[in-house]
Amino acid sequence: MPVTEPIGRFSAVHTINRGLQEAPVLRQGLGVTWALAAVGATGRIVVPILVQQAIDKGIVRDGGVRVGLVVVFAIVAAVALLIAGAAQRQAVVRLGRRSEAALFDLRSRLIAHIHRISLADHNEERRGALVARVTSDIETLAQFFQWGGLAWLLDGPLMILVASVMLAYDWILALVAFAVAAPLAVVLRLVQRHLVVAYDKARERNGEMLSAITEVVTGAETITAYDAGRVLGAEADEAVQRKAAAQIRANVIGAFLFPSGEVFSVLTVAAVVLTGVARGPSSALTAGAMIGFIFLTYRFLEPIAEFTEVLDQTQTAVAGLRRVLGVLDLPIGPPPPEHPRPLPVGSLDIDICDVTFSYPTRGLASSADDAVLRHVNVYIPAGQQVAVVGETGSGKTTLGRLIARFADPTIGEIRLGAVPLRQVSNDDLRQRLVVVSQEPFLFTGTMAENVGFARPGTSIDDMEAVVDRLDLREWVATLPEGMMTEVGERGEQLSAGERQLVALVRAGVADPDVLVLDEATSSVDALTEVRISRALTRLAEGRTTIAIAHRLSTAARADRVLVLDRGVVVEDGPHDALVLGDGIYSRLYEAWMTATTAEQGDLLPG
Amino acid sequence: MQRARDGFAMLRAQIRLHPRPFAIAVSGASVFALCTIASTAAVEWVIDRVILPRFEEGHVATGTALTGAGFVIGIGVLRAAGVVVRRAWAGRAQQRIAATLSSSVVDRLVRQPSTWHNRRADGDLVARAGVDTDAATAVLAPIPFATSVVLMIFVSGAWLILKDGVMGAAAVAVFPVLIGLNVVYQQRVDQYYTDAQDQLGRLSAGVHESFDGVQLVKAYGAEARETERLSVIASRLRNARVGAVRLRGTFEALLDVIPSMANVGLVVLGAIRVRDGHITVGELSSFVYLFTLLVFPLRLIGYALSEMPHSLAGWARLREVLDEPVEPDPRQAIGTADPGRAVQVNDLTFTFRGEVRPALADVSFDVAAGRVVAIVGPTGSGKTTLVEIVGGLVAPDRGRVRTTAGMRSVVFQEAFLFSGTVRHNVTLGEPYDDDTVWEALRLAEADRFVAETRDALETVVGERGVSFSGGQRQRVALARALVRRPELLLLDDTTSALDPATEASVLGNLRSAFGGTTVLMVASRPSTIALADEVLFLAGGRIVDHGPHTDLMDRQPGYRQLVEAFETERVGASD
Repeated sequence: MPVTEPIGRFSAVHTINRGLQEAPVLRQGLGVTWALAAVGATGRIVVPILVQQAIDKGIVRDGGVRVGLVVVFAIVAAVALLIAGAAQRQAVVRLGRRSEAALFDLRSRLIAHIHRISLADHNEERRGALVARVTSDIETLAQFFQWGGLAWLLDGPLMILVASVMLAYDWILALVAFAVAAPLAVVLRLVQRHLVVAYDKARERNGEMLSAITEVVTGAETITAYDAGRVLGAEADEAVQRKAAAQIRANVIGAFLFPSGEVFSVLTVAAVVLTGVARGPSSALTAGAMIGFIFLTYRFLEPIAEFTEVLDQTQTAVAGLRRVLGVLDLPIGPPPPEHPRPLPVGSLDIDICDVTFSYPTRGLASSADDAVLRHVNVYIPAGQQVAVVGETGSGKTTLGRLIARFADPTIGEIRLGAVPLRQVSNDDLRQRLVVVSQEPFLFTGTMAENVGFARPGTSIDDMEAVVDRLDLREWVATLPEGMMTEVGERGEQLSAGERQLVALVRAGVADPDVLVLDEATSSVDALTEVRISRALTRLAEGRTTIAIAHRLSTAARADRVLVLDRGVVVEDGPHDALVLGDGIYSRLYEAWMTATTAEQGDLLPG
Repeated sequence: MQRARDGFAMLRAQIRLHPRPFAIAVSGASVFALCTIASTAAVEWVIDRVILPRFEEGHVATGTALTGAGFVIGIGVLRAAGVVVRRAWAGRAQQRIAATLSSSVVDRLVRQPSTWHNRRADGDLVARAGVDTDAATAVLAPIPFATSVVLMIFVSGAWLILKDGVMGAAAVAVFPVLIGLNVVYQQRVDQYYTDAQDQLGRLSAGVHESFDGVQLVKAYGAEARETERLSVIASRLRNARVGAVRLRGTFEALLDVIPSMANVGLVVLGAIRVRDGHITVGELSSFVYLFTLLVFPLRLIGYALSEMPHSLAGWARLREVLDEPVEPDPRQAIGTADPGRAVQVNDLTFTFRGEVRPALADVSFDVAAGRVVAIVGPTGSGKTTLVEIVGGLVAPDRGRVRTTAGMRSVVFQEAFLFSGTVRHNVTLGEPYDDDTVWEALRLAEADRFVAETRDALETVVGERGVSFSGGQRQRVALARALVRRPELLLLDDTTSALDPATEASVLGNLRSAFGGTTVLMVASRPSTIALADEVLFLAGGRIVDHGPHTDLMDRQPGYRQLVEAFETERVGASD
């Protein structure tokens, strides 16, 4: 699946570079932030140096303790600490601000892009993945900037700084310390690699547990009705135990992470002490330096431990970034015209010229056999009411989508008011042509908000006028708060039929010249059914209308019926003429008549 | 204070579930705390007995040097072991307790009847077994650590003061400052994090909705508007995060600088105390060293305690589910019908919670065994409620329901398939053999499409498997009912997702396979009504009439109107 897997195999460096290109805000002032972070890092070595200096020059001296000198050192150290603290704060805030600004930009661009990619890339299986790109994947980047980003800025300078001080004190001791401490990095990587695997497993098990529990909850009615609580409860229970086991395993591995740093630091201290003691005093190696070393060893190992942890966060973030970039690389739906031509004023005719369409299959060249539509030639005069009928898979829905320019034909073109659709700007098209879909989508909010979606800024009065025009006053009056009724999440407070009515009012508010209706297959109660067909008739008046018909009553009312069979127009004419023929249409009509008759006994076998 | 008491009560209740791993974790943490303090003694010993003699006096015994190194390594390794034990067992305690709690919730979920479930949002219930349990137990893992920090503070405070009263008092005075600062920071930053979490949730929901409605967005050319709307939420998220990072920058700098400053002060004070002969250089160094070691734990204790409010909130939500008594099973109130009768309902009345008008009022009817009855009525007339009451899913407020003693199966309007195999969906864990399952699938007209899938009965349906169409799902759900060879079959508009021909074959199969089965089905289209022997006509929660379709057409204008709404539609079509 191209949305969940990165397209192409970018290297990490390539991905990061592209990320920086996509979010240039990040690079602004990065040098200053780094310099501040470096200054901030010096704060961590002030105390060890102070201890060393104070002991060597002020305390362990032949002339006795010189408190005055120690105070001078202390004042210098305090000032250094204050400066470092201030710099550190600035670095943290600058990085946080820049990264959040960059992530905000990236999120907005991603949302805009996802709205523009083709509908074919928007099927339900991918929905979750696309949402994850905008939320959890960007979140991995946010997490990275909150913790890891700073470590990248800080740990490098810090390690260099600490190492330099150690080398300056005594290079042999420093090398001994490095040599003993170095394997820590290897050990940590090893533990971490196991840890990542273990946590992935734990996450997976957690997901499984949640699905199992979700089943118990959403299937409660079925479980009660079939007394299946024991069986399904046990299944959910097993998932709970598996998740706990996976988590515990991850915890045990994780338990070794921090202590391994501890073990290496005492080993390093011991090695430094023994080496130093064996070599004895020299010009550079003093008691103070030895004690300073003990403190510095901690400071040197800290960033190693932190860094190994950050490395994983970095990998996660790069993977997240890669997926985000993968979505930004998806081509946007039908490309906007370079030189848009305006649609003519007034009602619009539709000319479908030799249209063939196959769904693009990724990686595989689509052959003519896969074509959903083949050489379709239809002219629809302005104002005509056309119904397209055909069985599932006949290509009728695709034809509707092409007319609405949700996709472009593979071969041939469609002209609206004599202008090829490819040359019409999206804004222009959407103001003149409206699609009312099979299962209308409603946003959470009031009915008025959903209706107003068609044309922001439409007054309630104008909406009410449309309600009257579509003869839906009586229905709106049955709603608890009329136009202000909350429709609930995805319109769940309304029945399926009522959702269709809202969609019709919405289309009426848009007041388009061309109407593409994709009819619902689901059955609704009789009264709503009557309301829908009445509103549809009113809505279609005076507009060029293409109805992708599932109910033959719609076809019967149309001026003209197009019958599609496996991508080819096989019949074309008025309902009355086609019904009398012996083609597909008359057969479909026969079957439909049977289904809507309540004569008893004629269907009962035996 | 109340909150602290609640916190303790919660911890007690949770730890009681699995006390052993928790106790082990606390022991590990104690070892860690004591070794942290001992390690400063080791450093002091090494400085005073090994380094200073060698560098100031020129010699030290090899044995002493090796002892010093062994001292440092031994205590360090023991300290590390304490951490391993503490972390591993704290995690074990937390996960075991979380699993026990999740299981208890699941147990409740499957024991509560569907009426209880109907009053609650699905997502909310899942959250209680999932994220709420995680939140409630999140406080457990840091508790052993927090205990060790408290132990460390007291022991090291005593140790420092015993070593040198003046320096010890000065050092100990810094502890409350750091802890106080931490608590303040956690409280303040928490607001931002909570806000950010809320905004992220809102963004996630908004994005999900917007992508779900992408076709609509495209149809109305609203791409830019939608992006703008969502960007506003994203910008709130950004503002919350920037607020948090500013606070964090300041407090982290303070938490770094204050202990370092204290160390600087200790060095000066230490120099004076060394000069006056009160302490050794090794002791001075060990003071500074201990401070260095304590800074990190002190920083984390604030974090550990910051989980408490979330955990209490999660715990409260968890208790809501666990403390609620299991509601009685409505089925127990259903009696056995007289011989030859399949359903006998007397004076049935039912009102939904919070509503005044009853959904069903004084409903009485009688169905002979083996009949196919269609329940017909306008939207909101109480059809579904009637099926649910007869099916034993909802208890009536008043009245008596008696049904045949044999198996009763209900199939709902929306087919629910569990993610799992086709077999699992039909049997729901009961030991039916292959032939029986196939027979049920055949009766439900589902055998053909199931046989066409690659793994037949073992085909996985749902998220990670094959997605069946609405009609196919409905037929599998029907097979689930039929495999149990019900004497009474209740269908809530089940067949509306099937085409009329399939619908007719299913009912035909049923009649030929087990002739005695009584069927009570909500019907919303004429072709379904046509399959019934008799019709129960409901309006406004009352039974208006009961009889054959043709009779009702003759004597009930309301019924005729309802059925004719379809006919009108058809007549209008053939004009």
